[in-house]
Amino acid sequence: MNETLHQRAQKLLAESLVEGITASDQAWLGQHLRECADCSHEAAATQELLQALRAVPVAVPRDLVARTQLRVRLRAQEASESSRSGQLLWVITGASWLLGVLSAPLVWRGFAWFGGQFGVPRLALEMGFVLWWTVPALAAAAAVLYQRGVAQGFAGRRMRESKTLH
Amino acid sequence: MSARSPLLFAGLMTDDKQTIALGLRRRDPDVLDQLIEQYQQRLYRYLLFLTGNPALAEDFFQETWIRILERGDQYNAKSKFESWLFAIARNLVIDASRRKKFASLEDFADPETHQPFEPPDLHATSALQMLLARENQQAVQISLLKIPAYYREVLVLRFHEELGLEEIAAVLAAPISTVKSRLYRGLAALKSALTEGAA
Repeated sequence: MNETLHQRAQKLLAESLVEGITASDQAWLGQHLRECADCSHEAAATQELLQALRAVPVAVPRDLVARTQLRVRLRAQEASESSRSGQLLWVITGASWLLGVLSAPLVWRGFAWFGGQFGVPRLALEMGFVLWWTVPALAAAAAVLYQRGVAQGFAGRRMRESKTLH
Repeated sequence: MSARSPLLFAGLMTDDKQTIALGLRRRDPDVLDQLIEQYQQRLYRYLLFLTGNPALAEDFFQETWIRILERGDQYNAKSKFESWLFAIARNLVIDASRRKKFASLEDFADPETHQPFEPPDLHATSALQMLLARENQQAVQISLLKIPAYYREVLVLRFHEELGLEEIAAVLAAPISTVKSRLYRGLAALKSALTEGAA
């Protein structure tokens, strides 16, 4: 039996494991393995190798699943809270904007009365009017940033705690 | 945990991709709990063979599920859930490897050199057979850790996880020809490592 036949058998053997071979190749390989002790041993060794590979024992560390589930639940909870507070913020912002637009004539009338009473220049009144709208928005932005910072710090602490649970 | 999601009663333990996708989109913690339980062995084994390090495998196991929670809406239920899961886990490991976050991670650079597959030497198998007869599992485990990670992972995905070539290609984000090539070379490398270990 020449070397080329052995090489073909080895190639088909590998292909049968990786991508499969045609029925005619399968028949040829079967015939060759029956006649060739070397290739037959090689095929048996490869099968043993794959069986051993499939049987390699891997034990999942104790508590890993529980720790992971806890972390995932905490993160899901944070995401849910963040989403809810985000929605609430949009509602408050919308309501505030609507109220602002509706009350603008009244506020301007108040500024005009104040300017008339104390002789404040019109430019100063207009700047005061702009500030009247800007300051609450800046305060709201500061509050949101502060809340986000607190939430991140809290999440970091909880993550460290969950990692040290075991 | 008393008020379990109705999704669980719809049969999550089956491979119902739509049910899983719906649960992930809703970020349902009960669904995630169930998935973590269901895939614990397969994911941990994959990560262990990929990193070769139990501590890293644990870290990546947790990070993978956090990523699944955060990006659950990206699972489109067209592919098998485990393929998507392994792909996410693999990307995390590769990202960490690129950032050199973990010094013990191996290089995942593409090893392909477009050389044709050459079958191993017939006469080199006698030592292999002796070793297999003696301590098969332990020897295979040790030899697996000796071969490069890019071979190890395809061997595990193919012969442990029983994924098809197309599914492995999806996990690796690589062409099927690359997957085949790595499988051939991986098998040859594993045999070679076993033979060297037995010598």
